[in-house]
Amino acid sequence: MNLLVLMIVLPLLTAFLLSIINRASTFAARVAGPLVLLATAAIGFSVWPQLSDAPIAMQWGGFQVPLGITLYADQFGLLFALAITIGTLLLWPRNSKNQLRSSSLALLLAGTGTGLALSGDLFNIYVFYELMTVVSYGLIAGRGTSGSFASTLRYLVISGFGAALALAGIALVYQATGTLNLAQLAQLAPEKLNNLQGFAAFVLMLVGFGVKAELFPVNMWVPEVYATASSRVSALLAGVVSKLALLIIMRLLILVFHQPEALTVLLVLGILGVVSGELAAWRARDLNRMLAFSSIGQLGVMFIALSIPGNAGVFAALAVMVHHLFLKPSMFLLAERWGGSIEKLAGAAKTSPVAAALFVLLSLSLIGVPPLPGFWAKLLVIMPMLALDQPLYYFGAFVILAAASLEANYLFRVVMKLYDKQPVDVPHKAHATVDLATAVFLGAGLIASVFMLVPLADRLDSIAAQATDVSIYIQTVAPQSLQSGSVQ
Amino acid sequence: MRRFTAALFLLGLGVMIAAIYQHMDFSNTAVNAGQAINVVAAQETGAANFVTSVVLAYRGIDTLLELTILFTAAMIGGMVLGRRRIDAPRDPDAGFILRTGADLLFPLLLVVGLYIILHGHLTPGGGFQGGVILASAFFLPLLARPGITLIDQRIVSLVEGLAGATFILIGLLAMFDGKEFLTPLFDKGELGALISAGSLPVLYLAVGIKVGAELAGLLAHLAEAEALD
Amino acid sequence: MDILDSNTILYIAAFGLMLIGIGGIVISNHLMRIIFGIALLEAGANLLLLLSTYNEDASAPIIVNGNVPAMMADPVPQALVLTAIVIGVGILALALSLAIRVQRAYGTLDMREVRLKLEQEISADAGIDMPSSSEKPADIGEVPVNSVVQQESGS
Repeated sequence: MNLLVLMIVLPLLTAFLLSIINRASTFAARVAGPLVLLATAAIGFSVWPQLSDAPIAMQWGGFQVPLGITLYADQFGLLFALAITIGTLLLWPRNSKNQLRSSSLALLLAGTGTGLALSGDLFNIYVFYELMTVVSYGLIAGRGTSGSFASTLRYLVISGFGAALALAGIALVYQATGTLNLAQLAQLAPEKLNNLQGFAAFVLMLVGFGVKAELFPVNMWVPEVYATASSRVSALLAGVVSKLALLIIMRLLILVFHQPEALTVLLVLGILGVVSGELAAWRARDLNRMLAFSSIGQLGVMFIALSIPGNAGVFAALAVMVHHLFLKPSMFLLAERWGGSIEKLAGAAKTSPVAAALFVLLSLSLIGVPPLPGFWAKLLVIMPMLALDQPLYYFGAFVILAAASLEANYLFRVVMKLYDKQPVDVPHKAHATVDLATAVFLGAGLIASVFMLVPLADRLDSIAAQATDVSIYIQTVAPQSLQSGSVQ
Repeated sequence: MRRFTAALFLLGLGVMIAAIYQHMDFSNTAVNAGQAINVVAAQETGAANFVTSVVLAYRGIDTLLELTILFTAAMIGGMVLGRRRIDAPRDPDAGFILRTGADLLFPLLLVVGLYIILHGHLTPGGGFQGGVILASAFFLPLLARPGITLIDQRIVSLVEGLAGATFILIGLLAMFDGKEFLTPLFDKGELGALISAGSLPVLYLAVGIKVGAELAGLLAHLAEAEALD
Repeated sequence: MDILDSNTILYIAAFGLMLIGIGGIVISNHLMRIIFGIALLEAGANLLLLLSTYNEDASAPIIVNGNVPAMMADPVPQALVLTAIVIGVGILALALSLAIRVQRAYGTLDMREVRLKLEQEISADAGIDMPSSSEKPADIGEVPVNSVVQQESGS
């Protein structure tokens, strides 16, 4: 019996029953969601120590390996499962108009995010991904303004397009291998998928799952959605959900698709993402969209990191992801009250000194100023790229450095405005205590990581090593090494 | 100009697909999870319809998620469309044929829908197909007489919540038994009998009712959306 | 390409449906057509999934009266497509609901105009002057206030 299942199932069950609970007691409905998420987070933490020795695999319904659906928990997956659970808890929607529905949606987001991170079956990943997409439509549209409906619809169009392509990619994989289990695919891939069909499947799935990961050509939705959704939802989508989509792409890359062309595609798209995102952020005139565009740029850095072959790439990508996981939600929470034009922020530091100081700290880390974790994360990306000694990777490293100076330019523009001495005609709104506390909590995590840099890096390295070892995956899922063709 | 480039893009895409198709290998049947399921399904699940075995047993979690997607979509649909204003103009009643037809078809659709759901483990069909028929049974009167309240939204939400919860609770029941989540339970019975395949028909009944409730709710929301001025 | 066997024809249908869908999404500006384009693209992908282990000679994987067919079709793609279709239906319904609200708020379903008005609305909210117009679109699409309480209890 495996308690990890409950991390996925309990939030779903509660979401189904929430409106019924609400009839019995409004108070119970209000607290049920956070309590369930606390419980699932506790389950996750209790399982965590076991995973450093060996990952856990289980079968939904207890069927044999290639027949049923596998749930695979390694440190990498559970890290992000915990991230979405705790992230949802911290950024619990506070939407007075539709509280009940928003709570259901948040629960569903936590449950499906966990499932996505732990799933070991290609089609199951697709279904989890689709559910997460539908839930995020609800969270965005939950604001109820005409702008949020329009941006959701445009997001839905891009996302629906991507999902159908991903499905076609899955069809190609199943056609070639006759299985959907990632462990079995990992065994069969060198033989069956190391060809044009496999590459086509990879590109289709990259575009499909890349929609949420803000991959370059399919990220038109990002600025609109983050500008129209509530800040908490933007923080969740940019901070955690995009990482989950990236996690899927990483898993597929590690286990199934080994073509060198795949890495080149990732590198090129990553570079384009960095360039387009940072330039657009530089031009942006309001904080929300500036953060949205810069998040496209940061996701681009992660794609570049992924394109580095071997363990170093996954380690670097993981470091950037974890850094961004803390940083972006915090920034979006600060943008909650600083939403409008940057011009209007003049002198806001006087009203909310803590928030302004935090913003400076986050900006410095985002740019990559030495003692802060952002610097080490970027260093981890750039060093192996230079070591590869290939022109395109040199160019990628150059782009990351150039992007850092752009980031410095536009973020300091905001900081200068915040500390502007000029008197303002409109008084600034102070941040809600909950938002500020959450942002400070996340920022404190960043500072704490400065002092624990070495153990943290070791831990991330071991997580990356566990995630990149294909034989561990295969051994855990199917201990009696599956012979291709014979199913016991 | 834009159409021309788009056409060119599609042409290029078509050529690429043709190239991929040329390289596709249709010979391999060596590994196949599906054929392996065909061998063991009758014994493992006791359902005569192997597609049902896959939907409810081997890939049961997919089905649960799919129900959740419908649940979420219906919930968001309701949230997005909102309630209509009381004074909003309504469409007039439909003609005699549609009204009479709807009245006559209503019980028939209910019976057919339930039949298809209950025989899902034996014959083609099942919870989804039957659920859609159930939904159409409740939607047809709405088309014939816009504005009637055939089903209370509160009952719909109760039914959809409980049906979804039933699915999960059956899964959890297996966990209390020391097995994995969603392991088929109960006696498998005789292959091909109406009461067989253990807990699968119960799951399919929950699926059917849930699909029916969600789709009926979604369609009702869409039909209730106020006409544009 | 050799003679058109049934497999090739089916694959042409699947890829053709996908191409038509992509074409609809790329070429047209009307949101309804784009949504139908997505539906077609999905249909093509579903067909592709069904074809992945398609075998002309196989019969349905159902045991009728104890007769086990000699060669049964692969049940997995059928189950997957069933799932994918239902997902598609849910998303289609959601897209239509959103389209109704967008049409009501902006008075148009032309993608370019929706995009422009969305841009204007975001800029107006942020307090940035747009070169073209800083007028905020009328909020004719809001839910009536009195219904909010009912909604909470109603679903």
